[in-house]
Formats: sequence, C-alpha cells, structure tokens
Amino acid sequence: MQSQDKYRIALLSAYAIAIHSFENLLPTPIPWLRLGIANIITLATLVLYGFRSAMMVTLIRVILSSIFIGTFLGPGFIMSFCGGVSSTAAMGIIFSIFPRLFGPIGLSLIGALFHNAAQLFITYLLFVQQLEAILLVTPLLILLGTITGVMNGIIGRMLIKNIENRAPQQ
Amino acid sequence: MKLSEIRRGKKELTERMTLADILLIAVLVIISISGFIFIKKAFPQGTDVKIEVNGKLAYKLPLNSDATIAVKGINGNTVVEIKNRKVRIKESPCPNKICVYQGWIDRGAIVCLPNRVTVFVDSSEGKENKAIDAITG
Repeated sequence: MQSQDKYRIALLSAYAIAIHSFENLLPTPIPWLRLGIANIITLATLVLYGFRSAMMVTLIRVILSSIFIGTFLGPGFIMSFCGGVSSTAAMGIIFSIFPRLFGPIGLSLIGALFHNAAQLFITYLLFVQQLEAILLVTPLLILLGTITGVMNGIIGRMLIKNIENRAPQQ
Repeated sequence: MKLSEIRRGKKELTERMTLADILLIAVLVIISISGFIFIKKAFPQGTDVKIEVNGKLAYKLPLNSDATIAVKGINGNTVVEIKNRKVRIKESPCPNKICVYQGWIDRGAIVCLPNRVTVFVDSSEGKENKAIDAITG
C-alpha cells in the first residue's frame, strides 16, 4: 500500500469517526434507529478509492469510535461492527461485480439494507430469540432504511462529485 | 480493481440515478409496505377460535363470524359464544364457573379445567399471541 493511500485512509477515517461520534450524540425517537450518516464516508471511499480502502475506513471507524464512546466490545459494538462490515462488504461486492449498475444512491440503499439485516440477525442470535418479534419490526426497519439510505446516497453523491472536481485526475 | 474502468463509469454514476437505483427503491418500498399490511393482517389479533377438549382440537372457528356452539366436555356441554370478534364461555357445567366469569376475550385463552375445555384465540399459523404482547408492551 502506498503512503498516499495511507494518508487518505487516515483522513477519511477521521471524518468518519467524527461523524459517527456526532451521530451518537443525536437523540433518536427509537433507541436503535440510526441515520447512518457515517456510511456516507464509506460510500464515497468505495466509489473513489475502491473496496479495500472502504473496508479499512469502516473497520477503523467502528473500532475507534466505539473506544471513544465507551461501548467497545459491548452489545452496541457488536451490532455496529457486524452492521458496518456487512454493509461495506455488500456495497463493495456489488460495486466490484457491477460497477455501472447502481449509482451512489443504490449502493447506499444496499448498504443500509445489509446493515439492518445484519443487525436483525445479531439481535435474533444474541438478544431476542423470537422470530415473530424480529419479523414485526422488519418492515419498519426496511422503510426507515430506505429513507435514510436515499438521503445518505444523495449526500454521498454530492460529496463524490465535490472531491472529484477538486482533486486532479491521477 | 481496474481503476480506469471505474473512472469511466463514475462520470456517468454521479450524473443521475440509474434505472437499477429507482427499481431498488421501488422494490424496497413495496416490500416494506406489503410487510406492514401482512403484519397488520397476521399479528395484532388472533383470527381463529380454537376449542380443545381433553387436549385434542375439537373446533376451529373464525373469530369474525358470530356463532354459539355447545362443546361436549367430560361433564357435559360447555356453551361457547363468539360475537363482535370476541369469544366467551356462556354456560358451563363446572362447579366454580371461573371460565364463565372470565368473560369476553379477543386474545389469549379461557381454560375450564373441570370440563377439560380450552378456548383460545390465535392466528391461522397456530402461533400464540404471547410473543407479540411481549414486544409491543
């Protein structure tokens, strides 16, 4: 890995951690409802610099911000970790196989969907062993995930455009 | 990953939403809305009245149609009445009549031990309402 990549990953991770920590301070009506705005950084990293960088940024973001917030290795961390990794993996795989199929909004939606799916799965495994209870909240989560996913996708697209216009093509 | 290929695609990507994006949004919205409808239909209240005698299913009736039936238990007939999406035991040959005093229910169960008659309300899949009460509460 070149040193330029390292700087880039460090910078993007710092942004992501800041956003993630800020988001954690925002009050939400439902405890597990998250806007997932840190995903914007992951999305932009994926589209601009590829899958490996995006995964690195996600891992650094999840682990470091949980240490800052104080939830490291707790249940919240496990949820956040699995959600982040699976959503980044899903976005990365889709983007690698079909780079032209989905735009940033579609990728963001896929990320949100897999984030929700992973968290529901973890919830089922660790906390609530009732399939009915999980099924009951699934449509709500999909709907909220779609709304926040589109929102993040639009912001992510603006961010990608902006970075592209500023940075000279290498 | 081939960077040049991504760069070429990226220009188009950032211009507009792709067809796949729009399709994905549509599919997700449809899934979640149909999920809401499905859950409303399947979960909040039971849909069936099941009557067991001695642990064996004797009757299965829809909760939304009124009916009065006599169920033959071990001591005589227990009269079960379904009305306005609620069910009760109207008459029973048992000595303490706890089952009759329990009145109308639209979820859960009425158990008449002396006559070995159990009336319970649940959905068609045979799931009890316990799980739902636990999470909505």
